[in-house]
Amino acid sequence: MNILLVLEESGGKIKGVSWEALAAAQRLGPRESITAVVIGAQTETLAAQAAARPVGKVIRVEHPLLAQYTADGFAYALETLLQNQNGTKYVVFPHTYQVRDYAPALACRMSQVLIGDVVGIEEGPRFVRQLMQGRLTGSYRPSGDGPCFVSVQAGAFRPDETAAGSNSSAGRAPASITIFTPTIDAAQIRTRPGDPFRASEQTADLGSAQRIVSVGRGIKEAQNLSLVQELATALGAELAASRPICDNGWLPMERQVGSSGQTVAPKLYLAVGISGAIQHLVGMKGSQCIVAINKDPDAPIFEVADYGIVGDLFEVVPALTEAVKAAKQ
Amino acid sequence: MTAFLPTLAEPQHFFVWERLLFVALAVLSLAGFWRRFGPILGKILQSKKDADFHLFPLGRRVRDFVWEVLLQAKVIRERPLAGVAHALVFWAFCAFALVTLNHCASIFGLGFLDPAGRIGRFYFDFAALFAAACAVGIFGLFVRRFVARPKWLGEVSWESGLIALLIFVLMVTYLAAFFVPATGDAAKALWWAHTLTLLAFLPLIPHTKHLHLVLSPFTVFLSRGGFAEIPPLADDEDFGLVAGKDLTQLVSLQAYSCVECGRCMEHCPANNTGKLLNPKEIVLGLRGYLNEFGPHSEEPLLGKYNSQEAAFECTTCGACEFQCPVGIEHVPIIVGLRRGAVNTGAWENDYGAKLFLALERGSNALGISPAERDKFVEKNALPLFDGTQEYCLWLGCMGAYDPRGREIVLALVRVLRHLEVSFGVLRKERCTGDPARRLGNDLVFQQLAESNLDSLAQSKTKKIISICPHCVRTIQEDWKAYGTPPEIEHHSEFLARFASQLPLVQNQEKIVFHDPCYLGRYRGVYEEPRRVAALSGELVEAPRSHERSFCCGAGGGLVFLGEEKGERVSHVRAAELAATGAGVVGTACPFCNTMFQDAFAEKGEGAPELMDIAQLAARGLPE
Amino acid sequence: MKIVVAIKQVPDRDAQVRIAANGKWIDEADLQWAMNEPDAYALEEALLLKEKNSGEVIVVSAGPERVGSTIREALAKGADRAIHILCDDLNGQDALGVARLLAAAVKPENPDLVLSGLQSEDVGLGQTGVIVAELLGLPHATMILHVEKTDSGLKVKRELEEGWFQTIELPTPAVLTMQSGGNKLRYATLMGIKRAKTKELRTLSAAELGVEVAPTVVLAQIAAPKKQRSTQMMPGTAKEAAIALVEKLKTEAHVL
Repeated sequence: MNILLVLEESGGKIKGVSWEALAAAQRLGPRESITAVVIGAQTETLAAQAAARPVGKVIRVEHPLLAQYTADGFAYALETLLQNQNGTKYVVFPHTYQVRDYAPALACRMSQVLIGDVVGIEEGPRFVRQLMQGRLTGSYRPSGDGPCFVSVQAGAFRPDETAAGSNSSAGRAPASITIFTPTIDAAQIRTRPGDPFRASEQTADLGSAQRIVSVGRGIKEAQNLSLVQELATALGAELAASRPICDNGWLPMERQVGSSGQTVAPKLYLAVGISGAIQHLVGMKGSQCIVAINKDPDAPIFEVADYGIVGDLFEVVPALTEAVKAAKQ
Repeated sequence: MTAFLPTLAEPQHFFVWERLLFVALAVLSLAGFWRRFGPILGKILQSKKDADFHLFPLGRRVRDFVWEVLLQAKVIRERPLAGVAHALVFWAFCAFALVTLNHCASIFGLGFLDPAGRIGRFYFDFAALFAAACAVGIFGLFVRRFVARPKWLGEVSWESGLIALLIFVLMVTYLAAFFVPATGDAAKALWWAHTLTLLAFLPLIPHTKHLHLVLSPFTVFLSRGGFAEIPPLADDEDFGLVAGKDLTQLVSLQAYSCVECGRCMEHCPANNTGKLLNPKEIVLGLRGYLNEFGPHSEEPLLGKYNSQEAAFECTTCGACEFQCPVGIEHVPIIVGLRRGAVNTGAWENDYGAKLFLALERGSNALGISPAERDKFVEKNALPLFDGTQEYCLWLGCMGAYDPRGREIVLALVRVLRHLEVSFGVLRKERCTGDPARRLGNDLVFQQLAESNLDSLAQSKTKKIISICPHCVRTIQEDWKAYGTPPEIEHHSEFLARFASQLPLVQNQEKIVFHDPCYLGRYRGVYEEPRRVAALSGELVEAPRSHERSFCCGAGGGLVFLGEEKGERVSHVRAAELAATGAGVVGTACPFCNTMFQDAFAEKGEGAPELMDIAQLAARGLPE
Repeated sequence: MKIVVAIKQVPDRDAQVRIAANGKWIDEADLQWAMNEPDAYALEEALLLKEKNSGEVIVVSAGPERVGSTIREALAKGADRAIHILCDDLNGQDALGVARLLAAAVKPENPDLVLSGLQSEDVGLGQTGVIVAELLGLPHATMILHVEKTDSGLKVKRELEEGWFQTIELPTPAVLTMQSGGNKLRYATLMGIKRAKTKELRTLSAAELGVEVAPTVVLAQIAAPKKQRSTQMMPGTAKEAAIALVEKLKTEAHVL
């Protein structure tokens, strides 16, 4: 029985979510049955990183045409690999944008369906995923023959605690590495991807920000904004504000969140010193996770917050900045 | 009866050439009149018929006609001095009807009023009084328009001056005729002067705003009757006022009746805060359109003569329509123009689209999950309406989701419980559709009205109390197009009935009550909220109160449309209220409440406290 | 440009969902239905492309009778015609089964472009569009915010993680799955609804399309999640609360 674990890289390093996928794979079978796969044009260092982890073996799927990610390239490469490998029962991926782009096509070629964005694995195995935007969960079971394709949600599985250098710390030699070169024709790759770019620095693209730190009247004066800016920087978040702050000119109008400003729905929305008047709420209530910091325990913002701290923001915000920086290490 | 004036000198003899000349000039004059009036009348009559027009019952029409036209009540009440002057001119014209007839008949020897006879003398003296008053009046109005120059009268126009002059001359030539001998050149000269002035005046009427002389009695008589009443769409092809062919007879008549007095403009909150919108220009824009393109045109109404931007700056406060002395109904016109833009998708506005999508998909205008309303109901243990209670308490979008609206609801609940009045709230509510209705989205409005009427019927609701005048208006009037709504009243009306059972608060605090547009002008409710507020303090009035109350700026769906240009309407009104020195501003509408909250919050310390009358009523209750 | 847009009717986002008696799906009684939001963005992008390049927009949707209202909404917003694949047990199908139905209906149309929303608001698999591309043998791209027609095909803007974007060029015909928020949705108008009455709405059955297949992945059971959304207040001093918060954000909310 073989479990194929497809790792993903970014900037020459294997992404953390791949190790979370490893943790998921470890639920499905013993270490020896897990084969880690790295894909690219030059995968030597990637393979070495993978070999240090508790996997059975590592396969380098290498071809010049795989230098840049394309759905056609990756799907085809893995398809030929799977045809080459016998007895693959599970193919496990981290649920990344890239995987969402090619894994369903790959599964389809093998007459399978990807069970994507899995948050838990139960007896059976049954794969648990969220439905109705998190209001319900569903457990899926694969039926039929052929490999079962699974991708796991970021943060759903804690990566193996004995992370880096685990093979060596367990007294094992690194896993064996083999190279697999699929025959890919340039004509098979139908899309031409450009280089990644960021939205321009001048405009505040709150709409696409994943994290937002928003400041309200509680900040009292413009010079106190630097406190909140530090927190935003530490979190890698965009700075936003409720209307009065923008009206006073302390932040530009385009950073306003609310009924007369922008509507945002980031993964994390941190409301600092914002009371939660309806004009502001309608602009951010769709955020996935809302955190509120306010000295008034009855502030309406706490009604919509997932997490809250009642306290003086001039104490809480610096403490939070410190805690965030510490966690990043 | 001794006369107080000498005998009116009527020329005794006219030559044949004079008679011929008179006939020729009269024909010319009438032709001149018809040349312009004919096409105007044609344009009005060729316009689309009003689908909902009912001539009967006549009672209301006759009453309005007597009050507004004959007694000039609106004209006088809203601008007393100028109003009286105008009334005198108008009554003079009425009084002169027989004089003029007699005057023209006399050249043919058919005069029926004898200046020496009892009836004739009486009548001519009677008319002379009016002539004098009219001359004074018209002189005063001339000074006002050309010397004082209030801004809402617009640019100084030669035609107004000319007309004023002609009227003045008519009166003077009439009065002078008392002081010359009947025989002799003076009498004849005066006769001809009067006649020429008359014949010059006649064709000028349809070329100027004095067309209202002919049209406005009809305009007032034929008006829709309700206030700010939005007519139903006629058929499947009717999307509102898109182009000339959509203008109805009533609208065309109103467009030509405008006297350009500028009262609508004077009281318009948008116009007073630097916005493009000017209700006078909206009406005159339609007139210009009809003059150029006519009532069959496909040319968009929001184009050359009127702009989409202006049409969407209206809060539907109704001050314009309320003020208009000639019966023009501005609100259905502006909503009609909006309908034309929204129902056809021509209106592209991010906030508007977001609002419509929220109403289409969800239950409320704020786009908030209905679970939040359920939480509020549950947390505060509000009883659910099950058909056994006397009243259904309608929360509305603001009462269910807005933190301040919720406080108002809870205050009202305390009062209801104190009064031991049984009530319940519905399990589910959808927005009444007021913003969609005022913005002209008939699709969304119909969906909301029908869905709400259905669930209300199922819940067996008989009587509703609401804290929001917009909900009250929409449910009571606008839903009628789609079914029979239950009885509904505003909580101020309810509380006023029980005022004697509510405790007084021994407090000498001054309270200034702000009349909400949809409670005051729209519903005529002014005293009830004051009766309730008076329980809690001493009432003072804002400079503009009752029917002149200045809008808070939220209406017409505008509160959902984001940033306002220029000065903020709410801030202007808030400043006015604060300037009364009152410690408390009393409101009766959750939108007014929220708008002033923002304005006062900016003011910071020293701003008056903002309380809904439910909260004022609850103040005296035991904890 | 001939564009096909695949849309799905889903329970309204704010609906209180209850689990059906057999535990296999939700109880559909008393539910409000709406167009899947990412599909609405896909439809909007298609309409914008049609307005710019002229052509035809056809909507396809699979599901029971009630799906008709969402299809009519799409027609009211400007789609030219529609195909309704009548299917009473859509939830019993897996993504491959649904994609097979859609692909079978789309294929004879020979479109230049097929658009669908990135994922559905109910099941949220996010795969149907990609599988349709695979079945039709067409190139695809996902998480698209903006589409532009070029001489050689299409130029699209794709969203990447962490606020990065990428431009991709691909030939037509192609399949794209659209991310929400790339354009501004238009509202349904009275005029649109009235016009929609005269537009073609063709109904096909799964049998007619010759698609019958047993699912390879089965949704065995659904349940309510263990945690409910309520405000968790972090206790203690500012420092303690801050540390506790960061821990929660990392391990519970997974946003750090």
